[in-house]
Amino acid sequence: MALIEAVDIRKRYRSGEVEAQALNGVSLSVQAGAFTALAGPSGSGKTTLLNIIGTLDRPESGTLTVAGRDVLSLSAAERAAFRLSHIGFVFQAYNLIRVLTARENVAYVQQLQGVSAAERNAVADRLLAEVGLDGMGDRRPDQLSGGQQQRIAVARALATSPDIVLADEPTANLDSHTGESLMQLMQQLNETRGTTFLISSHDPLVLAHARQVVHLRDGLVQEDASA
Amino acid sequence: MIFQLAWRNVLRNARRSLITIAAIAIGLAALLFLWGFNDGVHNSMMRNLQQAIIGSVQIHADGYFRHPKLSRDLPDVQRVEDLLIKLGVQQYTRRIRTFALAAGDDNSEGLVLLGVDPVREVRVTNLHTKVSRGRFVSPGDGNTCVLGATTARNLGLTLGDDLVLLAADRFGALAADRFTLVGIVESGEMGIDRGLVVVPLASLDAMLGMQGRMTDIIVQSPPDKLEALTAALKQGLNGQGDAHAYEILRWYDMYPMMKQWVDLENAFYYIFLGVVLLIVAAGVMNTVLMSTLERMHEFGIMLALGCGGWRLAALVGLESVLLGLAGSALGLVVGLSLVGIFHHLGIDLSSQMDSITRFYINPVIHPEIDTDHLLITLASVLLAALLASLVPAWRAARLQPVEAIHHV
Repeated sequence: MALIEAVDIRKRYRSGEVEAQALNGVSLSVQAGAFTALAGPSGSGKTTLLNIIGTLDRPESGTLTVAGRDVLSLSAAERAAFRLSHIGFVFQAYNLIRVLTARENVAYVQQLQGVSAAERNAVADRLLAEVGLDGMGDRRPDQLSGGQQQRIAVARALATSPDIVLADEPTANLDSHTGESLMQLMQQLNETRGTTFLISSHDPLVLAHARQVVHLRDGLVQEDASA
Repeated sequence: MIFQLAWRNVLRNARRSLITIAAIAIGLAALLFLWGFNDGVHNSMMRNLQQAIIGSVQIHADGYFRHPKLSRDLPDVQRVEDLLIKLGVQQYTRRIRTFALAAGDDNSEGLVLLGVDPVREVRVTNLHTKVSRGRFVSPGDGNTCVLGATTARNLGLTLGDDLVLLAADRFGALAADRFTLVGIVESGEMGIDRGLVVVPLASLDAMLGMQGRMTDIIVQSPPDKLEALTAALKQGLNGQGDAHAYEILRWYDMYPMMKQWVDLENAFYYIFLGVVLLIVAAGVMNTVLMSTLERMHEFGIMLALGCGGWRLAALVGLESVLLGLAGSALGLVVGLSLVGIFHHLGIDLSSQMDSITRFYINPVIHPEIDTDHLLITLASVLLAALLASLVPAWRAARLQPVEAIHHV
């Protein structure tokens, strides 16, 4: 069974009198352990689809199963608990909590799970080392470069050992060298940990690393290609 | 970590937080000082009333207070005094109290006639300190008396003059005796300066044929032990078969008006407290709301990561409580310091009221704060800070992750 099974997902946005169809019946299947890219131009529905799969948003219609759960039937609190256990997020603008140190940012999600301070700090330090930031645990986000912050975001996404990491334009704010380095890191983590990655991007760098590329256009899947 | 996170968020905009903390501190310090002034006035009034003449508790034969007849003397004075000793009470004294007609050279006047034990009385009340001319009645005195200044003036008496007192004795027969005026009391209280004559207990006992019988036992008690002492006296004197042989009355059972007045003034202060708390709450809410609006995006991220809405609300509430705690700590130090300094220095209002006590209020006020007022005010400020966070916390709890993340 696929880790993500989306069928005929539709989503509209209304802004005043204007209505926009963001997803127009998207169906998608992502297997466990995949390293998949959602490609498409701006406005194609990549972020909307990622948000829906990440249970941050709800579609008007369609069915969606993530990690064996019908996530569209969950309440807001259940969705939050589901995200905490099953999904890691990497955002375009890093989105670290700026009053927390790198270690605390990574440990934050485990704190939400009620893991003891000693245990979560140990996990955070190990993950920071894994993403190449060994010894930088005490630094605040504003003391780190964009690439380093995005690596912390990746470490944070992995802290709860989720089934899937959803990354929304993770290289958009990085230079090509840093972006390449980040993609190699995520690919390596995918291979070593078996964590599924679903990455929305129109960056050719991302698409080059992906083993499966799903092309979206005008809210529809145009092509689903595996490398 | 939620505490760390909340504290760092408070420090995030340090200037705004400091202004809010300062506003809370100033509000609390002002409230504490006002309570200190208020309690200083009230407590000194109540102390003065009790120490002037009536004591904290009076013990009589049942029904004596409303119908003071000498035939209603205390059933067993020794038993009462033994119980007081057993309860650890040291300040108590015996009295005989009745009404008398006082006749001077020119005039006559109805008075409360009080026979006091000169040795014990001075340990229990401070009437002797109010003697402005002459002296108080002393051990070994014969028929001496002390009068209030107004009464002495009305009767046309000066020190050394004789005063004739006529009163019904224990059997209802008219008794009369002559007393020499040795002291004049000027207390500033109408009920003492006018309408009271104090004579030695032994002289009055002989005049009225009391044969060692007493009508009153007057007890002084610290305010915090008053209720327990009263309960113990009631239990000890009325609780064993001889139900209601004695009446045990607290000062405010006998003279409720002052307590009612104090309660009324306190009620006004509570209204004032409420107004100040509203201002404090508005200040805290403004800060927390601003801080919440500024962090909508971050809240969205936290929600996306799996933080529940109510956990987010708790964070917002905790930030508000931290502001409240910091402001309260500062306000507590400043407020209590002000109360302490002015308690030591005193606030001299003699230019406004007079140089002597009037209505039991001392012309120099020494602020002091009652523990219950301190705790209520402190708790109210903290509660106001917490309540002020309800709206921002509620908004945070209801945030939708996607909308919050896209909030700029």
